[in-house]
Amino acid sequence: MHVKIDELKSSLGTVKGLELSIGNIIEKAMAEEVGPTPFPSTVDLREWDFKLLEKYKPFYMPFCDVCCLCTFGKCDLSQSKRGACGLDMAAQQSRIVLLACCIGAATHVAHARHLVEHLVEKFGHDLKLDVGGVNVEVEAPVTRLVCGVKPETLGDLEDVLDYCETEITHLLSATHTGQEGSNLDFESKVFHAGMIDQVGMEVADIAQISAYNFPKADPDASLVNIGWGVVDSTKPVIMVVGHNVPSAIGIVDYLQDNGLQGMVEVSGLCCTAHDITRYDPKAKIVGPISWQLRYIRSGVPDVVVVDEQCIRADSLQEAQKIKAPLIASSPKNCLGLKNRTQDPVEAIVSDLVNGKAPGALILDPEKVGEVAVKTAILVAPKRKKFKVIPSVKDVIKGAKECRKCYECRRACPNDLPITEAVAEAAKGKLDALAELYDECIGCARCESACPQNLPLHSFIVRAAEKKMKGEIYKMRAGRGAIQDVEIRNVGGPIVLGEIPGVIALVGCANYPKGGKEVAEMAMEFAKRRYIVLTSGCAAMSAAMYKDENGQSPYEVYPGSFDAGGIVNVGSCVSNPHIAGAAIKIASIFAKRKLMGNYEEIADYIHNRVGAVGVAWGAMSQKAASIASGFWRLGVPVIVGPHGSKYRRMLLGRKDREEDWYVYDARTGDRVYAGPAPEHLFYAAETKEEAMVMIAKLCMRPNDTTKGRAIKLTHYIDLSRRLYGTMPDDIHLFVRTLADVPITMRDEILKVLKKSGWKERRVPDPTLLPRLIRKRKEES
Amino acid sequence: MSMFDDVPVDVGVIYEGERIRWADAHMELGGPRIERKFELVRARPMDKVKDGEIKIIGPDIKDMEKKSYPIGILVEVAGKEVEEELEGVIERRIHEYCNYIEGLMHVNQRYDVWLRLSEKSFKKGLNTFTMIGKVLYRLYKNELPIIEKIQITFFTDKAKVDEMYEMAMKVYEARDARARGLRDEDVTEFYGCNLCQSFAPTHSCVITPQRYANCGAISWFDGRAAARVDPKGPIFKISKGECLDPIKGEYSGANESLKKNTMGTITRVQLYTAFGYPHTSCGCFEAAAFYIPEVDGLGIVHRGYKGTAVNGLTFSAIADSTAGGRQVDGFHGISFEYMRSPKFLQADDGWNRIVWMPKDAKERVKDFIPAEVIDKIATEEDVSTVEELAAFLKEKKHPVVERWKAMPVKAPAEEKAEAAKEEEFVMPMPPTAAVPIGGGFKIILKDAKIYAKKIRIVRETD
Repeated sequence: MHVKIDELKSSLGTVKGLELSIGNIIEKAMAEEVGPTPFPSTVDLREWDFKLLEKYKPFYMPFCDVCCLCTFGKCDLSQSKRGACGLDMAAQQSRIVLLACCIGAATHVAHARHLVEHLVEKFGHDLKLDVGGVNVEVEAPVTRLVCGVKPETLGDLEDVLDYCETEITHLLSATHTGQEGSNLDFESKVFHAGMIDQVGMEVADIAQISAYNFPKADPDASLVNIGWGVVDSTKPVIMVVGHNVPSAIGIVDYLQDNGLQGMVEVSGLCCTAHDITRYDPKAKIVGPISWQLRYIRSGVPDVVVVDEQCIRADSLQEAQKIKAPLIASSPKNCLGLKNRTQDPVEAIVSDLVNGKAPGALILDPEKVGEVAVKTAILVAPKRKKFKVIPSVKDVIKGAKECRKCYECRRACPNDLPITEAVAEAAKGKLDALAELYDECIGCARCESACPQNLPLHSFIVRAAEKKMKGEIYKMRAGRGAIQDVEIRNVGGPIVLGEIPGVIALVGCANYPKGGKEVAEMAMEFAKRRYIVLTSGCAAMSAAMYKDENGQSPYEVYPGSFDAGGIVNVGSCVSNPHIAGAAIKIASIFAKRKLMGNYEEIADYIHNRVGAVGVAWGAMSQKAASIASGFWRLGVPVIVGPHGSKYRRMLLGRKDREEDWYVYDARTGDRVYAGPAPEHLFYAAETKEEAMVMIAKLCMRPNDTTKGRAIKLTHYIDLSRRLYGTMPDDIHLFVRTLADVPITMRDEILKVLKKSGWKERRVPDPTLLPRLIRKRKEES
Repeated sequence: MSMFDDVPVDVGVIYEGERIRWADAHMELGGPRIERKFELVRARPMDKVKDGEIKIIGPDIKDMEKKSYPIGILVEVAGKEVEEELEGVIERRIHEYCNYIEGLMHVNQRYDVWLRLSEKSFKKGLNTFTMIGKVLYRLYKNELPIIEKIQITFFTDKAKVDEMYEMAMKVYEARDARARGLRDEDVTEFYGCNLCQSFAPTHSCVITPQRYANCGAISWFDGRAAARVDPKGPIFKISKGECLDPIKGEYSGANESLKKNTMGTITRVQLYTAFGYPHTSCGCFEAAAFYIPEVDGLGIVHRGYKGTAVNGLTFSAIADSTAGGRQVDGFHGISFEYMRSPKFLQADDGWNRIVWMPKDAKERVKDFIPAEVIDKIATEEDVSTVEELAAFLKEKKHPVVERWKAMPVKAPAEEKAEAAKEEEFVMPMPPTAAVPIGGGFKIILKDAKIYAKKIRIVRETD
């Protein structure tokens, strides 16, 4: 908006040469007062970050001792040395973390930008946002909290993205040589990146839920088919892979508009698969990222359509091996292919079908839909018998060529005994190879390492063929947001100690021991009446399990946000619904204002909401930024053993009593609240360690005595079952005798006596002195 | 070292949700195939209870095969602070404690009990009621130290169960009659609950015999037991004090308690009204009462209701306008049990003032709505707008129609048909001082350039 007045005389006054220029009016009318930090800059929440970082000091684990980001270097930073620019190891590690989180946040924000632009073009700026009809009052909790705005239409989201893009640019610039010098400031910026990432993801998901009519906060979202075995390979098969769904939707729409549903199989991997089943429950999911290579090599797909993120860089080469044309559909992932966006469909199809081009770049989702379907139908009959997976005979023959150099095993991220299994195969026994399948993450580094060029990954796939074909499971399609009413429903059970906590199983599939562990954790905690949330690859892995009755976890446990539910919120960009549920608690129960009120709400969540994130197979930079979004809200995150490669943990020190004081908002006193939660970022080596830690990290200073008793019960019970011993820190978590679980009373009283335990009070906890309440005097 | 070392199976809250299918069961007790069964707690004089005694009358577990058996569980307790009024509270623990036992499933209560023992736990050695009795005994003594003596009898002999059943039914009836008959006037103590303060730090509940906690989970009896067991805990005794207004339900003790527990934010509460000083609301109340000014009546909407109420708002929106420990004139959170109370909104004319509620909610409390008004309360099936509601009420001659005569100007307004829906929801609020809009000064700007990257326009609030 721009107003220019040369001269104006009125009864009010005289104005000469006034120029009024307003970049953007971001609010029309607001129902709620805006808090102190709308659209926070990189430093606006720094003090809050420092409070957290004081409690959870960064513990660095350099993945690499040198810095080679500028030509001063390489600089060796080991043993307290500084680099040519003056940076030390701690700052360098946190700088790399910031880089990773910027990449992650940029990915989601760019994804959101692409989606919003595409959807605005298709549906218009004014399309109303709707994520849950009348059951969701607070429809964009993260955006409200961070930005202090209440987006109502698709167009409103563009402003929010402007802000995200600006912030990421600032953050990224801080990693340049000679910028930030303090590791703590880098860490604060890491938190900022994570927060921005949450906003970006939320924008992406609420845009697609609203425009594509995905399930809207629906606990009974459809059960969809997942697993290699659910794909009908007798039909032409299109494989979609990536994270940004429009091109996959282009395919489904084309099939529908042309009466071809059921004639062509649409199968997907990763989040595009999540999101396509939210659009069309008949679409099929093959599995998470680890299935990419094995699925292509199986020869089942007739056409491969890739969009963006977490797609194998060699997908074009692999697709060529099975003579399946590949369509790239994202400007971020063009794979060197010729841009055919403007070409006529028939010309592209003809080139792909006749093998004149191995693939095409098409940056128009509708065109992708038409080309993919037409190509699949024409290509399928031509390549029916083509398979690159060697026959059993060839596996055995190949295995005999193995020189036992162990390069494959050394290259394997999970140290799988590949060499040993190949030796068995050489004797004609494929069982050992088949066993590797469950834990193989499908990276094929073994093949690259093999001096004999043995297609080892394909060996594993052939050996496990039967298992693969038996992969037939059900997953509840991503439901999106959590309803406000569901949160109200669980308020009572949480304070009365009937629900011990909320656990979010999120992130990638780089598991130490296969996806089974994710399903097992989900079920164990659902059985214990926790609320279990899932998203992304973890949500898929949680489905790929069968109990003794042949049912998948999503069939056994309900999809409602309630005790014992296993709740799939959706793809990676659905993660903010998890943070959003925690944010909404503050609004619903305490009537805290959300708009631009980040610090107060984070303080509320950190001290009161017993939620824990578990990213058991976290691999990507996106996973790093997703985790850091949770940290800034004060929600702890546990990662699997590979997570230590993120270079630093945020670990609390329960032995330092002084770290665990909070203000009692009722009195202003500083009160020892115990190490709850003990850590903010923790890598567990085993599933067992993770499970004990999950139960422990659900404790919060505000727990009612009943709530604390049940949380302690699960912590102690899991510790005894999985470690075979009582935990050594029970006395830190018992505040009054009413906290002691009654079924363990005698033993715990002994422990308390031995440790010199003294009763203490349950505070109304906060880390922020400004939230200490003043007693109102009688008027 | 564990409390239950002499019990061959594990005992813990983690078994609470355990379901045992018939295929995996060793046998079952009570349940749908057995006509007469019961579980009962009785408070006895100290000298009538033999502490720790566990008796079995009829076949024990080890003598049972895979079928359904009659069951009666009689728990007799004594203690200085144990009284008949607490029997119900103590009795409900049987369900909880039995479920703590690995491989034992307990459903329902009173004359509906149903237990199943898994084959697996039987094989582990859980083959006698004595062990179940031991678990109950220890848990009772640990959790409820007011119980000084306790003896437990398991009946499985059909004739004996039938005989005891008759007695138990009489006890339940008498207990229910007493509970229903217990009035706020009859007691000297109320109970306060601060459990919700862990999430809603400014909310505190007052629980009386005739006004359940908002959440519907804590009765006056529960409060009494909890306050006795842990006097320093989040549920505590409130001396009723002086009755300041018997119709509105204002008591000096309740006022004092709220003042103390809300840090002076709330100084008065009137328990039986939606206006003036209604009870505050946390966030997990079962239902909310809301004022509909156009018809001068109150609507009720409950948490499970998925649609919009007659005023165009959802439960969430209405709940949102009152949650967080605030006292909002005309709006407050309530429990279903309170709707069943004779004191229900008595100062506002009780059920005669209720004009709308969802069908489901109405169904749940229909036995407590006076017959002469029940058909005059509209549901979502009858009306969907306030205008339709007004017409409905008029047609049915709802008691609120009488009120309209007293306030003819405000009578059902037709003109607001569409606007009501679109408008921002406005809560009745105390009048605010008019914002002075003034002249008397001049602004002279010369060659001024005002550049704002962003402008936030925020509504003025006071």
